[in-house]
Amino acid sequence: MQNITGNLKQDQEALKKLIPAEDILDFSFTTDKGGEFVILFTDPITDKELLGHLVVIPLQSYDGEMKAEEIGKRLSFPELRMEKSLDKLAEEILAGNPVLLWEGMDQGLIVGTKKVFIRSIAEPPTDVTIKGPREGFIEDVKVNTSLVRRRFKTGALKVEYLKVGKISQTFVAICYLEGTSVKKVVEEVKEKLNKIDIDNVPDSSYLTHFLASRPKSLMKQVGTTEKPDIFCAKIAEGRVGIIVDGSPIALTVPYLIVEDFQSSEDYFVPPYRATFTRIIRLFALLVAIYLPSFYVAAQLFKLQLFPVKLLLTISGSIRDLPFSPSLEMLLVLIVLEILNEASIRMPKYVGMALSVVGALVLGETAVSAGFVSTPAIIIIAFSGIGLYAVPNLIEQTSVVRLVMLLIAGSIGTYGIILATGFILFYLVTTDTFGSPLVAPFSPVVGRDLRDSLVKYNLGALQTRPKTIGSKNKRRLRHE
Amino acid sequence: MNKISTRQLLFFLAAIAPVGKIILMPTNLVHYAKNDLLFPAAMNFLLQAGVIFLVLLLAKRNLSLHDLIANKLGSVAAKIILSIFSLFFFFAALLPLVEQKLFVQSVFYDTLPSIVAFSSFFIFSAYMCAKPLSSFGRTWDILAPLSIAAFAGILFLSVKSTDFGALAPAFGTGAKSVFEGFAYNMSWFLDSAILLSFLGKIDYKKGLPWKGLLCYLAGAAGVLFFLAIFYGVFQDTAVNQQFAFTKVARYFSGIETLGRIDYLFIFALALVMAFYAILPLQAGIDFLRQSFGSREKRFFPALLSVIVNAVMLGLTIFLDYQYITLNDAITVKVFWIFPVFCLLLPLLALLLLIRRRRETE
Repeated sequence: MQNITGNLKQDQEALKKLIPAEDILDFSFTTDKGGEFVILFTDPITDKELLGHLVVIPLQSYDGEMKAEEIGKRLSFPELRMEKSLDKLAEEILAGNPVLLWEGMDQGLIVGTKKVFIRSIAEPPTDVTIKGPREGFIEDVKVNTSLVRRRFKTGALKVEYLKVGKISQTFVAICYLEGTSVKKVVEEVKEKLNKIDIDNVPDSSYLTHFLASRPKSLMKQVGTTEKPDIFCAKIAEGRVGIIVDGSPIALTVPYLIVEDFQSSEDYFVPPYRATFTRIIRLFALLVAIYLPSFYVAAQLFKLQLFPVKLLLTISGSIRDLPFSPSLEMLLVLIVLEILNEASIRMPKYVGMALSVVGALVLGETAVSAGFVSTPAIIIIAFSGIGLYAVPNLIEQTSVVRLVMLLIAGSIGTYGIILATGFILFYLVTTDTFGSPLVAPFSPVVGRDLRDSLVKYNLGALQTRPKTIGSKNKRRLRHE
Repeated sequence: MNKISTRQLLFFLAAIAPVGKIILMPTNLVHYAKNDLLFPAAMNFLLQAGVIFLVLLLAKRNLSLHDLIANKLGSVAAKIILSIFSLFFFFAALLPLVEQKLFVQSVFYDTLPSIVAFSSFFIFSAYMCAKPLSSFGRTWDILAPLSIAAFAGILFLSVKSTDFGALAPAFGTGAKSVFEGFAYNMSWFLDSAILLSFLGKIDYKKGLPWKGLLCYLAGAAGVLFFLAIFYGVFQDTAVNQQFAFTKVARYFSGIETLGRIDYLFIFALALVMAFYAILPLQAGIDFLRQSFGSREKRFFPALLSVIVNAVMLGLTIFLDYQYITLNDAITVKVFWIFPVFCLLLPLLALLLLIRRRRETE
């Protein structure tokens, strides 16, 4: 590893050679007494105004000794660091922190005047609440960790930074509460992140692949949230949080599937209401997955499943259809998925027009033209709405719904039951960071059931979830 | 996940084991014992409960059946005995599998489905049987409450249409009929033998034998109540009502307007049954693996599982239309095989252990 020599010209050349990019600029200036300085910086991500005001102007009139401590005092800037290694200095320049070199000094001074264009903190679109905090994470790791720090005014909150990605050198912050988070999990997270060999980490979702115990699995194995209040609540329960620079979605481990049936709002409304809404979410999810497939299976293999009057209505509407029930349902489902994809990616106003076209023109016309039946449209619409009751599981449930539909069309109800058995077995035998994915239902953890599908009042939640395995068991005392 | 916890085992005994007894056994019981069907069933349950208690006493030693036998009689004897037990399990699985097939064909399809429909069960079974038995414990955590809820739902929907008076007079059919009902329904009581395959995989806690006994009896009480309802609903025609649990609730008044809501419970029970039906195969494969396979190699149980399930699929297809002959052969002609493997051998194993321990003392 090469170090700074103290020869200004030589060091400047060495650094420029290390990072031969066109947007790496150098600026030389001298003091009134003839002292020579060079600043090397990355043009687009350095706050040049701040650099001029806080570094160049004070140093131009500097008449003291050319020692690091003296110069540091003159700058009176909080983010200053000395570094000898040329490689590390080059890394800092690329990260947006200018490096100040001067004749005779065998170290470079890193000045923290990085400038990143970031959007302001806003309510995340994926997790809107009526009651409760509305802040959401943004794409800057520093801002995001500050949102966490604001909620935990304790030295126990540890934020450890790692760099992942050979090219992107993305900052990854591991957040945990010392004494509360499980040490083994913290170590495992660090180990897994350190082992990652990848060029670029554009988003936190890239890391989930490396953190999962079954990376090829369809099932989610890492918790995600865009909200700092949920993130902090999970850390306070003993989990480990991971924030990735450039991503507004933070990760938490261990992940339990029950987390996605909980909303931050559940903790701000009466427990009865929270329990009711959680059960509704589960019901909606089951309806979303199973309703289309059971409808198809019943039509194809067991008409007895319909009440007689409903059967008459259905038979009236499917009479002259050109497609089989499974093909009809599959077509409607694919149209729904296309509309869904298009409406998300299209500009807002076009998206609204698209919804009208999708719902009225396509739906109405397809029914009146006799391509699809009204019950199929109703069922898919109901299923589509149900899917969004648990938004964090949409990617998984939409695939499972499709698979169930195909099975229903070929094997019928028994196929659906066996497929459910497969999924059930797969889920119950999956662990993430030592915690069973389906806990506290399997294995049954009695105390943790108090905040699962059922939500007890706050006074009954005196201990942290046993499933997470925190040694700091008690979280509140209530007589 | 390496061991089956006490709670999971109790769930199995109370809520999973009973479901295998409500498909065709009720009709078979009525065939022999008529309105006295509860007595032979209760006798079988009591005998099973006793043996299960003793097997759970064996579980305290935390040794598999193979290790228990190998320690006392040597490795070769253990291999022979376990291989014989495997054959027994494959034989004993045959009737429940054909029974499952008939149940699926009758309940889930309006017309006779293609062979693919039930073949999917063997894909499911082949996958499950390749997995270690201990990983089933967590499945029972979910299935047990589901089973209890579904069972309770069916009982609730059907209890109003039940005439419990039809069960009287008790012992009206005579001791011979009750004994025949007891003997010729033993093929449905494999639980104690299945439990032998759990040995060494149970996370034993104090009081497990007693708790196990009580849970099994609680499950038995549920089945007996169901049998009473079954006979109370169908009375003299009960002997023709196969797949009893799918039929008892159909007279519920709300069904006309709501449709067959009892199917929700039937689907739930069908899921539990699918997991229960694979257990004899799983136990047989596990015994073969213990006898001939290496613990490290995962390939051996997977291969065994595929072979066994392929053979079973072939047999169930072949025996599809011979159910009556098969039922007669297994439940009547060679019914003695079941008490030998499910009652006598577990008892002998325990006696052997007790005797050896005394000798050592």
